[in-house]
Amino acid sequence: MSAATAMIRSEARLLARNPGVVLWAAILPVAAAVVLGALPATRNPTADLGGSSFFSVYQPVLVLFAIAILAIQALPDVLTRYREMGVLKRLRTTPASPALLLVAQLVLVLGVSVLSTVVIVVVPAFLGAPLPRSPLLFLLAYLLSAWAFLGIGMVIASLFRNAKVAAGFGTVLFFVLQFFAGLWIQRPLMPGWMRGISDWTASGAASQALADAAAGHWPRLLHIGVLLGWGVVTSLLAVRLFRWE
Amino acid sequence: MAMIDVQDVRKAYGGRTVLDGVSFTVEPGEIFGILGPNGAGKTTTVECIGGLRRRDGGRICVAGMDPADEGTAFREAVGIQLQESRLPDKQTVREALELYSAFYARPRDWRELVARLDLAGQQDAAYATLSGGQKQRLSVALALIGNPRVAILDELTTGLDPAARREVWGLLEDLRGTGVTLLLVSHFMEEAERLCDRVAVIDAGRVVALDTPEGLAASVQTDQRMTFEPSRPVDPDLLRLLPEVHTATEQGSRLVVTGTDDVTAAVVIALHGHGIAVHRLRVDQPRLDDAFVALTHEDEEAHR
Repeated sequence: MSAATAMIRSEARLLARNPGVVLWAAILPVAAAVVLGALPATRNPTADLGGSSFFSVYQPVLVLFAIAILAIQALPDVLTRYREMGVLKRLRTTPASPALLLVAQLVLVLGVSVLSTVVIVVVPAFLGAPLPRSPLLFLLAYLLSAWAFLGIGMVIASLFRNAKVAAGFGTVLFFVLQFFAGLWIQRPLMPGWMRGISDWTASGAASQALADAAAGHWPRLLHIGVLLGWGVVTSLLAVRLFRWE
Repeated sequence: MAMIDVQDVRKAYGGRTVLDGVSFTVEPGEIFGILGPNGAGKTTTVECIGGLRRRDGGRICVAGMDPADEGTAFREAVGIQLQESRLPDKQTVREALELYSAFYARPRDWRELVARLDLAGQQDAAYATLSGGQKQRLSVALALIGNPRVAILDELTTGLDPAARREVWGLLEDLRGTGVTLLLVSHFMEEAERLCDRVAVIDAGRVVALDTPEGLAASVQTDQRMTFEPSRPVDPDLLRLLPEVHTATEQGSRLVVTGTDDVTAAVVIALHGHGIAVHRLRVDQPRLDDAFVALTHEDEEAHR
């Protein structure tokens, strides 16, 4: 077995043993999507939501819920703990690079959230809910969102030495991001100024880009730009700030 | 050729000198100890040797390679057990060993290591459930899993209870003669006395002594010290007349006498001449402990 495969397998096993992450990232959003998809009433356009259906407004929020839990909470938590425990330093003593661990984590986080997204999108379709009209644009919007979220997670893992502080910060940021994605107040219902702020957040832009793609049209340039911006800036910051010890 | 060759290594952190010209060599198969008080520069020394820290000056050659290059061949040849390095709580012993095996080109059979380290019963136990001694033994196993030519073990037994400490020592004694060169960092004299072929004492960033543990102990001219209960009271002044005796004092019913190497025989014979028997005799040899205190203390004095 190659070092990379062994590392991914090992990290996958450890992730699966973390019941909190599994519950929040996989089971909860999937269950919510199934319930949402099973209720025909959620599929009707409502004037309250600016002509969108409840389902089409909430599907992106659930998709983002999964990736946010993994990228903003689980990823920095694991990396800061590994740094604190000296796991990263121990890896430096072996022929395998500690970068391998980083790669394994990113692969896993992305893999699990893609999987959970596929379930969130496909299972309700069997129950009669609509599939995204443009799967390719939906995928594009998803990948841009994932990049931005992973970048934010990596910045948290780089900024904080203390695992508890990182986890606390991640939790707060998770709720802020979910707020702007529209978990509590759906984006069409937000007051104009609030939606204006939301447009510039990674989660607000992601949520709207996913909704637009699901409706079959191109996401707005603004949202693509915002997601790209978050992805690039956070990646550069993380590369600059991340420390093994 | 020496397995580890350290010449005049220097290191400073932000202007504070930590290593001030450290030099020593370690032969293949040797168990070499690095002793010193806290903050003496022991860990910095082995981290430079292990390629985890860059030296500011001097030369280091380990198994024919410069650790500063941090090459894969170097990592294959050198196993390091770090001070205070843990594993994920939920990783099992077997999983950790299998994972680390995958990193090396020619790993040891982890089953053999597990048996040798007496961890076979814990193979499927999660790291968090292991005892302190078991965690340390696993840590040693991970340092040895790649079949290294040199293993660096830093403060291996710190924080272990005496039983667990003896357990780990037993393991290292077993390693003697397997050809692995061991570099052992410690501040336990007993550990060095029991395991090491030679030790270097580091203090304030310099090697202040380098010898076998026995050689070091003998090098400090400490007196022999004997304590005993005489069969009837003895005037200490009587003993002070003997040329071998330096001091003689009463401690309750016991007498404490210090002097040259021959002091025990001289005192016993002299008392015998007076018809006095010596009961519950205890003789303390100068130990590495004494040498260590003398060496690192002298150095402190010199710095003042």
